[in-house]
Amino acid sequence: MIQQNLKTLEERSIYIIREANMKFKNVAALWSMGKDSTTMLALARKAFLGKVPFPVIHIDNRIDFPETYSFREHLAKKWKLNLIVAYSEVKPDAIGSACCGKNKPETLKKVMKEHGFDALIVSIRRDEHGIRSKERYMSPRNQKFKWDYKNQPAELWDDYASKLEEGSHIRVHPLLDWNEIDVWSYVKQEKIPVNPLYFSRNGFRYRSLGCTHCTVPVKSDAKSINDIVKELQTTKIEERSGRSMDKENERVMEKLRALGYM
Amino acid sequence: MKVHSITLLGHKDHGKSTLIGNLLMLTNSVTQTRIKEAETYSKKLHKNFEPAFILDSFFAERAGGLTIDITRAEISYKGTAFSFIDVPGHEELIKNMISGASYASIALLLVSAQKDEGIRDQTKRHLFIAKMMGIDRLVIAVNKMDTVGYAKGSFESIKKELTSFITKIGFEADNVSFVPVSAYAGDNLVKKSTSMRWYKGRPLLELLYKYSGYDSAKDDGALRIVLQGILNGRKDLVAGRIVRGHIKVGEKGTCIIPLDINVSVKGILAGGKRVRSARVGDGVALELDREVTKDPRGAILCGESYCPIARRSINARIFVTRRLGGKLSVRFNGIEVACTSIKIGSQIDTTTGEQMEGKKAQVLNAIDAELVLDRKIPAESFMETRELGRFTLYSGKEFAGIGIIR
Repeated sequence: MIQQNLKTLEERSIYIIREANMKFKNVAALWSMGKDSTTMLALARKAFLGKVPFPVIHIDNRIDFPETYSFREHLAKKWKLNLIVAYSEVKPDAIGSACCGKNKPETLKKVMKEHGFDALIVSIRRDEHGIRSKERYMSPRNQKFKWDYKNQPAELWDDYASKLEEGSHIRVHPLLDWNEIDVWSYVKQEKIPVNPLYFSRNGFRYRSLGCTHCTVPVKSDAKSINDIVKELQTTKIEERSGRSMDKENERVMEKLRALGYM
Repeated sequence: MKVHSITLLGHKDHGKSTLIGNLLMLTNSVTQTRIKEAETYSKKLHKNFEPAFILDSFFAERAGGLTIDITRAEISYKGTAFSFIDVPGHEELIKNMISGASYASIALLLVSAQKDEGIRDQTKRHLFIAKMMGIDRLVIAVNKMDTVGYAKGSFESIKKELTSFITKIGFEADNVSFVPVSAYAGDNLVKKSTSMRWYKGRPLLELLYKYSGYDSAKDDGALRIVLQGILNGRKDLVAGRIVRGHIKVGEKGTCIIPLDINVSVKGILAGGKRVRSARVGDGVALELDREVTKDPRGAILCGESYCPIARRSINARIFVTRRLGGKLSVRFNGIEVACTSIKIGSQIDTTTGEQMEGKKAQVLNAIDAELVLDRKIPAESFMETRELGRFTLYSGKEFAGIGIIR
């Protein structure tokens, strides 16, 4: 995995986060308490000199790990976050994409409408998935949250998409250029707090964090951030290999994203 | 590791995605999962293994056998990293190609040597656009050499025709290399091919490596900071990006154009820290000695003596992607300014580089025109400072082209 220049990545991300805040009236960010969205909040703190200026939304299906909840409480307090918890109900029979694909986008739609958010910062990265790698830094979603991926706007020379119509919004992706190893190197450099589930216990660790139903740990002895960086330098295993949803069929991510999934 | 961005160029089906897919596999830069996924899909669609599917992830791309939108893939080579930007070759997807190319400093053009393929309009148009956007370094890969028996003659005739075109549109011979390849079979991508012993040059990755040391950023005496806006609601605190030169705390004699105010910089924050100085490429928050009275978004902070002049009239070369009608506007460093008139001086055929008859802007060609805007922008020529010499053009709400200021 290629480790990029962190300063270059940081500059671009800060630029995009500031741009979102200056360009749009009512910005919010999604926070899953994972390493990526937490890194994004650390970048936002740098961009706005110590404080995250927008609300952060946790789409909570009440089945996240206990460690995730306590991490949320700890950091929300420490960083004085304006945290919005939006509950999404889990049906006992639906798992994987049937669950994520339906419940989470619906809850997100509701909370976006309630608060009138017109831009949503989402911490996806190009190297996570082939479909995510097709995204723009700023990408419009229509009223139904649909992603018109066959007709994305031009994006060049710092000219980013504007809002389409009432009820539509822009997805903002400040971490698009980052690789998994860059995030961990940055977490180390900036001493960003992370969820303890990322570190190895009894020979297993979580490499990508979802809820308790659909996430399994992967084999690893990485007990520290240094170990994780070292592991990623040589690994040939996909980051999301512990996410059951991705494996259902080849088009699941495309379908989920088209429906408004993160 | 510093990453050098390389945009692919070329007509559809000439092998851009296949080439990147194969490079990723040959250099071990992609996971087995991604390769397996591409394999599964190739079978499903009754195709031989298609390395392009590593890049082309949308179902519509795979089923249709085309790239719809841009993506990137990284390869590390000899301690440097390349980020390949895959772009669509279809004419109607040119806005996506332009978006991709805008992030690159080097171009890699593919042209197929296969019978009935060869140099096409889109081959040359992509070169024209890349040169216009400021890409000076170019590798031309003559692809599908396996389909012509690796014949030297096929390579040489394409090389000859393209050499004359690229010279005409302004590339310098020293900055262009040709290499015969088979993207699918892997010839001359990473290692020299044994099938083409007549080729004395280096393989593709080596040629790209040769061009990777170049940096277009100017750190000379001229200061240019493009301002993004005020920060945290404080009118004496502005965010911006240094696109040329450098600045020190306490520096006097700076002004903001077109707000026409003189300021001095009391403090600089970069990467969340207080710093004494900052240089080209840095994003900064600047504490000023006074408040700005108007919104500084899109304005320039620069030295008083050598600076751009705010103006309403600009002369530009514009590549047109859409019929120009209705309300025209120009987007320039985060601001949108209405264009009140456009006077076309001449028109250039982007597939020949020659002037065309007629004064009506034709889609997919270029015009040299004078634009009058309804307010002043701090522009200068693209040659002088790239970030202040370029804009995107909109017709109504639709992207209609890109402009380079002369």
